[in-house]
Amino acid sequence: MPEFDPTQYAVPLFVVAVLAEMIWAKLRAPEAYEPKDTLVSLAFGLGSTVAGALLGGFAVAVFIKAYEYRVFDFGPNENSAWWAVWWAWPVCFVLDDCKYYWVHRAGHRIRWLWASHVNHHSSQHYNLSTALRQSWTGPLTFGFLFAVPLVLLGFHPGMIAICGGFNLIYQFWIHTEAIGRMPRWFEAVMNTPSHHRVHHATNPRYLDRNYAGVFIVWDRMFGTFEPEVDDEPIRYGIVKQLGSFNLLWSVFHEWIGMIADIWHSPWRHKLSYLLREPGWSHDGSRETSDMIRARWQARVGGEIAPAATSVADRNRIAGAHEAA
Amino acid sequence: MALPPLLLQTAGSLAAILALAGLAWWLGLGGARLLTDDEAVRHAAGEVEDGFNPVVIARDAEGRAALAEDSQGRIMVIRRHGNRFAARLLGPSARAVIWRDPGVADGLEVDCGEARFGKVFLELPDPEAWAAAINALNTPDHA
Repeated sequence: MPEFDPTQYAVPLFVVAVLAEMIWAKLRAPEAYEPKDTLVSLAFGLGSTVAGALLGGFAVAVFIKAYEYRVFDFGPNENSAWWAVWWAWPVCFVLDDCKYYWVHRAGHRIRWLWASHVNHHSSQHYNLSTALRQSWTGPLTFGFLFAVPLVLLGFHPGMIAICGGFNLIYQFWIHTEAIGRMPRWFEAVMNTPSHHRVHHATNPRYLDRNYAGVFIVWDRMFGTFEPEVDDEPIRYGIVKQLGSFNLLWSVFHEWIGMIADIWHSPWRHKLSYLLREPGWSHDGSRETSDMIRARWQARVGGEIAPAATSVADRNRIAGAHEAA
Repeated sequence: MALPPLLLQTAGSLAAILALAGLAWWLGLGGARLLTDDEAVRHAAGEVEDGFNPVVIARDAEGRAALAEDSQGRIMVIRRHGNRFAARLLGPSARAVIWRDPGVADGLEVDCGEARFGKVFLELPDPEAWAAAINALNTPDHA
């Protein structure tokens, strides 16, 4: 089978879709884009491609070696071509999406992985250019190991890579505010713009929710699903917004912060700064997403979804309500 | 000499992203959101830290930045970042310097201690009290 990367073929589609969304923004929501932010996001996408080409070899080597130890041979015999086993494709796609859920969840809950994945979240905007804001430093994490069980099961690394490519392509279109909600049946099963807006939100109720790639059912199954509340304006980005359009700072800020924390912390806490959740600190001086959510819940009196006003508008000194 | 495919692809992609970002600029997307009143400051502060309720607010004359202090004495500096806002709760490493430009209103330069966040300039009518409050954050007896 020839080398095939579906994302490369999708690039023209990405460009046309971004153009279309920019025209929509011009007509309906000019604030949805910020040229400097767009440039940074797209530069992330370009750098990610280059970094993957330069640094992705190690993961490929691990997968190829692991494939030698696979438990099952799909097909009538060992020599049958892996790509010709038709039924393995949908099975691989679904299992790879489940794998994506877990690697993505780990990406938000383990600081080593978050140091890389934060790049995708550091824009304060949510548009199709945000979808292309991909990390440069993924190969410096152990995220690729989440795919090893699939390889050992018997799925060829090439099949997993292609399924992962289509998974990534699917996720492109859900990074938009131009689409409200899809039909109910679709929202129930698939990841959608509504579900993924929640994932990119920093509102306390939305933190660390909706990790799904293609199928939202994983979040429903594993207890991390949160529906979008219509009358609570979403604010995007990260808890501590960067406040900078410097590309290199945007790429490496969390790595620098993590390494500094490891360097300065007592020995018994060093590993925790690598492996515990973002926001954790040994002296309790910072807040994790769980702590922020708990504080918010305590503040609003334990009501989980008082959706009449935005989080920021509640409990204010003045009584007037400001539109988002 | 043929260019390596990766280099060729990178060059093409770079041209494409510059064109797209240029188009966003040409279309006038973005705009300049301002902190036009105290309500806007409260809203921005609440977005930065849930439950942050300013009791004292000072806005830059042009609405590009603001200072907000809550009932616990915590001070937040908010500034425009593109067409959004970014802010920091000021800590012991924060510094404030008053600057005066003859013929122009007085102002305050606030350094939150993070080089990449940058210094925030606010044109304020009465910067002395804010400067004193911010510079007092690094005193040992400050709560």
